[in-house]
Amino acid sequence: MTSDKNAAAVEAVKNTIYRACLNLDQEKWTDWLDLCADDFHYAIKAYSPEIRNDMTYLAGSRDDMANLTEMLPKHNTDRSPLSRHATVYTVDLNDDGTEADAVTSVAIYQTRLDGTSSHVDAGSTHLFVSAKYYDKLRIENGTAKFVERVTRLDTRRLDRGSHWPL
Amino acid sequence: MPTRNAQTWREPPKGLRQGEWIDSRIYSDSEIFEEELSKVWKKCWIAVCHESELPEPYDFRTMTIAREPVIVTRGPDKKVRAFLNVCPHRGNMIEMRPSGSFKEGTPSGNPKHMTCMFHAWQFDMKGNCAYISREKEGYQDRLSRKDVGLRKLKCEVYFGGFVWVCLDDEMDMSVAEWGGQAFDCLQKAVDEEPLEVFHYHKAIIPCNYKLWHDTNSEFYHDYLHYHNRITGFNDEYFARKNSSYDNGHVVVGSFKVRYDQYKGFDSRADVSFPHMEENAWYMIDMFPGINFNLRGSALRCDLMTPLGPNEVMIEFRGLGLKSDTPEQREARIEHHNSIWGPFGRNLHEDLIAVSGQGGAMHEMAEPRRILHGRHENHTIHDEVGMRHFYDTWGKMMNRLPSDPTKPYAPPPDDLELEEPVARTA
Ligand code: FES
Ligand SMILES: [Fe+2]
Repeated sequence: MTSDKNAAAVEAVKNTIYRACLNLDQEKWTDWLDLCADDFHYAIKAYSPEIRNDMTYLAGSRDDMANLTEMLPKHNTDRSPLSRHATVYTVDLNDDGTEADAVTSVAIYQTRLDGTSSHVDAGSTHLFVSAKYYDKLRIENGTAKFVERVTRLDTRRLDRGSHWPL
Repeated sequence: MPTRNAQTWREPPKGLRQGEWIDSRIYSDSEIFEEELSKVWKKCWIAVCHESELPEPYDFRTMTIAREPVIVTRGPDKKVRAFLNVCPHRGNMIEMRPSGSFKEGTPSGNPKHMTCMFHAWQFDMKGNCAYISREKEGYQDRLSRKDVGLRKLKCEVYFGGFVWVCLDDEMDMSVAEWGGQAFDCLQKAVDEEPLEVFHYHKAIIPCNYKLWHDTNSEFYHDYLHYHNRITGFNDEYFARKNSSYDNGHVVVGSFKVRYDQYKGFDSRADVSFPHMEENAWYMIDMFPGINFNLRGSALRCDLMTPLGPNEVMIEFRGLGLKSDTPEQREARIEHHNSIWGPFGRNLHEDLIAVSGQGGAMHEMAEPRRILHGRHENHTIHDEVGMRHFYDTWGKMMNRLPSDPTKPYAPPPDDLELEEPVARTA
């Protein structure tokens, strides 16, 4: 593969990761899922030194994620939006440039709308979680789609948590 | 209904009797909070972790109870013991990590010892002082190692392998005696074979610890949870029993949850805990703030650490069977997470609601009356669980929950804090 083609594939991967951040920030769940292949699998994981175990906090297929987000209107939710500050650290392509592994560092901030007292808290921003995205993507016709995302949290104090994928 | 003015807002609710409401100051007053730490939290058995968190000899876990630093270790004899995590020399906290092993040495100390890094005093797993640096040079014959051992705490491993600690040497009941019949409904399910913790996360919530415990013991708030309404809310659900037991404990009885009614969810029957009926769901609320919650396939345990009148840390654990195959474990984790995980359907909703209570009754807020006067024949939406808890609380604190400036007085006899007939869940 030529280095030009390589560079284009890396760009496509970064483009998909950054677009996914914007879609998730804006809670555009279907747009986010459009960036995911049919066989996509999502997970939030963390290691706990307290119980000395690797943990899964959320996991599911593309359909599971679609279900989860479709059901949101039925649930009471903290409406404070999340905002991702992400940097793609590494993109490793396979030999023919059709698959990629990417590692992205991400800090997710929450800007309160609800809060203990929205009168006081609304508008304030705090760090929600510190994490890395470990992504696998498939590249076809110059477009990269997620096949797998593991959001690996450093944070294990999650206070009120959230109702949607990070 | 007409609205109320300042005076009628403060009056006891008409039609309800003492014992059917409480004064919100018990959730927000600093003086009451400090008193609770000494009269309640330092007097009761408190579950602090699970034995699978310290599986090997020399493993340890640290935590606090009522602000006192506690360390739990496993000795070479495999026995789990608890000590104050405080050095008898100059009061440093001996071990600062949340977990680990003393098998390896530390920069200041030898293998197989708890070493205080400050001046390198060392202790064995039984809490004996094993080494004082430059002992003879400094203390000559005036101070002996045998007089500077650690402060040992009452400690038991009980009920599915949970580690319980009591700061009060005068506690004259075992955990089994103290919990009594409250343990019955899940005892066989959790004691048939060893359990293992697969989930841990913590939350620090701006509300009083009792508000979280209330939420765990009243199910009227299933109106908060779409999931619970759609998978419950049938005749069998409304017949679930709410039973109260000695020492302030409460049990919510089971019914068959219809998980398939929630889009994307399905039955838990394939990986039920031993002796559990298909898709059963029991809840045990132990006084003053420990909760065991078994929805068929996954056991959840909430351990609370009160941090202030309006702040509580809750540690959430999920447990399965140690013998699980990877597939069984994955199923349990999925069942646990979908409802109780930090990104699950219900936990987030519960935490929002108690934060809202905390926000509305913080320390300087004017006192409000918090109602728990529902009577439904000791079934699921009967608020007897909270009435029972606060009666025990009132006795231990010698304060009247409905007016904490007054000493405890029992509620009217016919309030029936305990079910008049059989009480087994
Ligand atoms: S304070 Fe622990 S050795 Fe001095
Ligand atoms: Fe709830």
